[in-house]
Amino acid sequence: MSNSVPFNLDPPGTYIYTGEMASKGYQLTRFGLSLRKPANREKFLADEVGYMRDAGLSDAEIALVRTRDWTGLIQAGGHLQAMLKVAATVGQNLWHIGAHNAGMEVEELMKITPRKVRAVPGGKD
Amino acid sequence: MARIVGGFGISHTPSMGMEYDKGMAKGFDPRWQKWFDGTRAVKAWLEKIRPERLVIVYNDHLNHFDFDAYPTLAIGVAPSFRQADEGWGPRPFPSLVGDVDLGWHLTNRLVRGGYDLTVCQDLAVDHGIYSWFPYLFDTPWDIPIVPLAINMVRHPIPTNERLHGLGKALGEAIRSFPGDQRTVVISTGGMSHQISGARFGIANEALDEFFLSKIKDDVQELVDIPQEEMMRLGGTEASELAIWFSMRGALSDNLVERHRYYTFPAITGCGVIVLEEKAA
Repeated sequence: MSNSVPFNLDPPGTYIYTGEMASKGYQLTRFGLSLRKPANREKFLADEVGYMRDAGLSDAEIALVRTRDWTGLIQAGGHLQAMLKVAATVGQNLWHIGAHNAGMEVEELMKITPRKVRAVPGGKD
Repeated sequence: MARIVGGFGISHTPSMGMEYDKGMAKGFDPRWQKWFDGTRAVKAWLEKIRPERLVIVYNDHLNHFDFDAYPTLAIGVAPSFRQADEGWGPRPFPSLVGDVDLGWHLTNRLVRGGYDLTVCQDLAVDHGIYSWFPYLFDTPWDIPIVPLAINMVRHPIPTNERLHGLGKALGEAIRSFPGDQRTVVISTGGMSHQISGARFGIANEALDEFFLSKIKDDVQELVDIPQEEMMRLGGTEASELAIWFSMRGALSDNLVERHRYYTFPAITGCGVIVLEEKAA
């Protein structure tokens, strides 16, 4: 993925979080949000797979978390804000998610961000 | 009756808060120093205008609510609002002070007026408010607030028209509250940004400047822009700008612009505009 930023809302550039995504990723999002509690973060870190089984995640979802496949998690309906709690718990942050989504290394993404574009409504893209 | 003396719109981002903490401890990163400096005039304005109540329209980022029940429009009615733990642990700040009487008054007026708010008697507030609040208000925080939380995390989100109308109803409700409290209405939402997908990091300064240039005198022009268009040009989370219509709707058309500042430090357009009522 280059630094070009398309003016459309299609994947993989953009994933709109719709009701359908919320239903698809309900358990995944719920699991991520459970990590808002420090005690749950400790439990998760002590036994990631066990914690996720208890949270009702599927094997496929567990594998996505285990491999820190942030793009796969978002495609599976995990809400970004909930996946951010997972990232925070494992010592990562928004940049790791963004870089994975953009197909870059974190340093590379940080270097080219802000990715400046210029357009106003009613004007030419 | 309570008096609305002015309002402002301001961006929020998690990094804005973290960079404030780092900056105050050991000096600001140059990109964030600009934002810190750019907000000094807002703080000075607040010290001059001396608000006695703050009504703040913001959005939660799945830090208090979850999808078991996610309200489209909610109001906090409680004597205090604690800081939400967003996953990294809370920052070293006290809880916000709430105004229960004003909260119930606004609830009564707004629900009776057609805005069916979810009433939260316990509400943890995230960076939607905590990221910029310490820039503008010294601790101890003693100006009571009433927060309203708008769904921006799952579509459908409320329309521009709806949030503009909510602001108008909010203005009327504030102005009918017994007393003569000097009240400032605040809306907060990130400007252009997108924090997922391959378009992560999109930055459209022209779009943000366009928005800031229109909100005082041409707000209807902004309200008429489809949300998808704002998202297409400014990133999915540029939709949060719709929240700013509530602040504008609560104010009259007899305004003076006191301050405007804009910069793009990292991932989110950071802007602020201060509008004062001429009658204030």
